[in-house]
Amino acid sequence: MPLKWVFHWQPNAGTTVNSQMINEVSQCVESINGVKEGRWKATLTFYKPMFRDQAVPAEYPRDFLGISLPEQPNRYYFIIRSQKIVLEADSSIQMIMEKLQSYKSRVSLTFEGFQYQLGDFQLRVGKVAPSASENLRGIVFEVEYLPLSSMEKSRQILDGFVEIWQEAMSKRSLPGHFMHIEPNFAEFGLSDHYTSQHTAVQYATVMAQLISAVQTAQGVRN
Amino acid sequence: MPLVCPDGAVVAYAWKRQLAGQAGASAVDRTRLALKAFTDQKRRFFPHLDDGLNGQSSASESVPKKHCGSQISTVTQQEELSDYRTLSDVLMHVEKDMPNMKIFTYQRLDWLKRASTLPCSAEEFLMDSSKEHDFHISNKPRLGLLGAVAADKVAVIELLFPSIFRAIISLHPAGSIDPDAVAFFSPDEGGSYVHARGFSVYHVFKHVTEHAAMALQHFLGTNTETALYSLLHWIFSYQTLFTEPCSKCKRLLSMDRQSDLLLPPVYHPYRSFCAIKSSSPQSISSTKNQTLDASHAYHVGCFSEEA
Repeated sequence: MPLKWVFHWQPNAGTTVNSQMINEVSQCVESINGVKEGRWKATLTFYKPMFRDQAVPAEYPRDFLGISLPEQPNRYYFIIRSQKIVLEADSSIQMIMEKLQSYKSRVSLTFEGFQYQLGDFQLRVGKVAPSASENLRGIVFEVEYLPLSSMEKSRQILDGFVEIWQEAMSKRSLPGHFMHIEPNFAEFGLSDHYTSQHTAVQYATVMAQLISAVQTAQGVRN
Repeated sequence: MPLVCPDGAVVAYAWKRQLAGQAGASAVDRTRLALKAFTDQKRRFFPHLDDGLNGQSSASESVPKKHCGSQISTVTQQEELSDYRTLSDVLMHVEKDMPNMKIFTYQRLDWLKRASTLPCSAEEFLMDSSKEHDFHISNKPRLGLLGAVAADKVAVIELLFPSIFRAIISLHPAGSIDPDAVAFFSPDEGGSYVHARGFSVYHVFKHVTEHAAMALQHFLGTNTETALYSLLHWIFSYQTLFTEPCSKCKRLLSMDRQSDLLLPPVYHPYRSFCAIKSSSPQSISSTKNQTLDASHAYHVGCFSEEA
């Protein structure tokens, strides 16, 4: 499937995100001829183990994530970042987990926004907020290059896009910038050929960055 | 737009259609219009006939003009290329020159069946194809997909650069070395529209296909005997489609003003393209200059006709 890079918004020290920034980012996409196509939504859930007895919790992972992606409505993705595990399951696994009561959802976040077409590129801008509230926690940006599936062969094209994108964004003078951190996909057993599992791993990485950014901001405030 | 006949032939001189709506025009206007249409389409479809007419140098031109030196090496090229008279010869030599490119041959209907089973990963295909084509080859190497039995029926050549592109060439008549159409696709595309006269759903490959059609006309117009060989080598140059920056603006991606699309350099020059990589000493220096042209790539807006 076509490969994509997922970016997260890195606010400048002492600043936070607000919905006006999302509007600016969307306008920036339109300024490089992006055509709005529709909405998109992904969810990310932190799971915690439910202990029936006083079992030692140490062996249970604390960073067990579940992700649903709009391009794969029948699939659900599990990631344990610390152990470099990613798994693709049928979306009915969520119902099974409910019935088993082995893991419960601790926190659930939603990534949603608009999707844009720019020739062979598909772009998504999304706000990050807890599922139960509108409290904006971050901004994500996806760039997908449709003709190619090989990450190695498409690297320079994506770099070229990022250059053009950063140029356009720099005209907006927003207090921050988009960052892309490429996970080591090989550690997760993933190959050069891009799949939705790669996307799930990227979202898990973004999540870690967003948490770190929030903690840093709190540290600055304190 | 030029008129394309059902058998793929193109009507080059469509200038008469431009005059149809000009009932009130004077004879001078009509003549001027006819001359302009005639010249434009001649330049487009028979570019090799333009040598010497477009002698003005332009500031953007980075490709040096070759005149005296090229004539000697052209003779050498023609002598060498005259060895490549059959499809087997051409493909065998091309495969040696282009080890990264996978070449497969098909009868016309077999290709349509194949196209409908795409996409699949290159590794899967290589495993499948070795089974499918065992019928045609005995103990020949992979190029022996073109077995002695099937050679006269080969009507489609597939060129695959794994993870980069797939190009389909149609030969007419089957078994000949006369290409009549070429098209580029994403390696992940599949379906009945993936054939030599089809168009990719992706803009980058659509643009390359349109440019390839002109390159094909140029190679056929220059020398029909070497057209296939030149076309295959020219297609090979597209392995750098997603990595080589534009020779003019030095960027990889650029916004094309006409189409409002972000595209890599999709235009590779074909006029001064030389497919020969001869090892003979007398032609090395001239061919070195010419094969340098093959590595140039341009965005649509950066490409000038003189290049």
